Amino acid sequence: MTERQLLEKLNNLKSVNPETSWQASNRELLLAQISNSGASSLSAWQVFVINFQSFAKAASQPAFALATFIVVLLSVGVFSHQLFSQAKPNDSLYIARIISEKAKLGVTLDAKSRDKMAVQFATNHAQDISTVLADPEFNNEANQDQVAKLNESFKREIETARTRISYMKAETPAVQPEAMVSIANDDKEDKGVQVSLSEPDLAAAVSVGQTPPVVSVVAVDASSTTEPELASSSSAVEAAEIEGESETEKILEEAEELFNNKDYNSAVDKLKEVDQMLKK
Amino acid sequence: MSLIGKFKDNKILEQIKSHDKEAFIRVYDTNVSDIYRFIYFKIGHKDEAHDLTSAVFLKAWNHIQTNSLESAKTLRALLYKVARNVIIDYYRERSNRQPLSLDDEANPIDIADESQDQAVQADQSADLELIRKKLPLLKEEYREVIIMRFVNDLSLEEMADISGKSRGNIRVLLHRALKALKELVEEEIADRGSVTQA
Repeated sequence: MTERQLLEKLNNLKSVNPETSWQASNRELLLAQISNSGASSLSAWQVFVINFQSFAKAASQPAFALATFIVVLLSVGVFSHQLFSQAKPNDSLYIARIISEKAKLGVTLDAKSRDKMAVQFATNHAQDISTVLADPEFNNEANQDQVAKLNESFKREIETARTRISYMKAETPAVQPEAMVSIANDDKEDKGVQVSLSEPDLAAAVSVGQTPPVVSVVAVDASSTTEPELASSSSAVEAAEIEGESETEKILEEAEELFNNKDYNSAVDKLKEVDQMLKK
Repeated sequence: MSLIGKFKDNKILEQIKSHDKEAFIRVYDTNVSDIYRFIYFKIGHKDEAHDLTSAVFLKAWNHIQTNSLESAKTLRALLYKVARNVIIDYYRERSNRQPLSLDDEANPIDIADESQDQAVQADQSADLELIRKKLPLLKEEYREVIIMRFVNDLSLEEMADISGKSRGNIRVLLHRALKALKELVEEEIADRGSVTQA
């Protein structure tokens, strides 16, 4: 006989049960006996207290406590940003918004996404500061101290955005203009790709170590993609990214200039452009 | 036990401590069969098993109200602890107790599930008869662990809590108990075979 067969036989012993009639009569007897010893039904308040105590006891388990802590932390990270995102620089909740944004940046692992997000946050802050300063009810003699502080903050935010854009540029793989042209020129006749780059542009870009000039790709037959084509299209994407980042920097400069000239509404419009570009 | 299980167990214990009779009756409904089976296979008499089962629940109620029992990790473990004490008291009172019989041949154990096929029921009866005959021959601690683990499905943790032994000890005990029972059952099967051949 195997152990399994023996266990099956033992399992059959589960069918040994007390008689149903005895169970019922004993139930009544037990109920009568415990009722005599002061048993009662609980009120709603008692039930609530018991539920709370039981939950607290269960929650004292280390695994449960850890899980609760993580859930709370994540919820705060995710939902607080939504909650405070509308806070303006002169609101008391603005500091909470800054903290929640920092938390969101902290939990973003990809460096490029983090930098992009940081630029977005900084431009949004700058935008909000400009909006507040554009309001004549706020921007008056009585609030000069606060206005000065907001001016400082605006400069700081623009500087942050610039720094992050430079990080983004550094993270984008450098594209060699010659390589881009030679790769893109492969099969250009067959696939209808037309690539052009003027010699002076190329020489200038290489000599000063600046962002390479844009390679214009007129048309690509996407249906028959081969390796060289993939390389050329990714190079084009990278070039477009670098161009976008340079463009963003330029608009930021314009926004700063407008802000310095106290043309807050135009500065807001420029910053909105930056925001739109980042969202693309 | 899962966190939800622990929560429910804590909750029902707190309710009983607050004299909630309905909560206690729910505990009775859930556990009466297991406790009865545990006692029945330990003492071997149906009527006395009924009486002792009643006593277990009443004592458990009183213990919870007065907090006089050393705390058990679960409510089920607490019931088994009370049942063990009740059985010890029973043996003490009957110091000249007779050997275990698990009921006599004239009163075979009823198989509760009447919806089962007759052939299955016949098989079960044969198995039951075999185990019924051999179980009392085991050492008491072997019998106890076999019933708790393989009949009433208690966890090793609960068994350790009830018996005051470590989980390792319980595991060793279970292994030895199963081996001993297997030998007894195989012996019986071999005897039956030789009788049939003769």
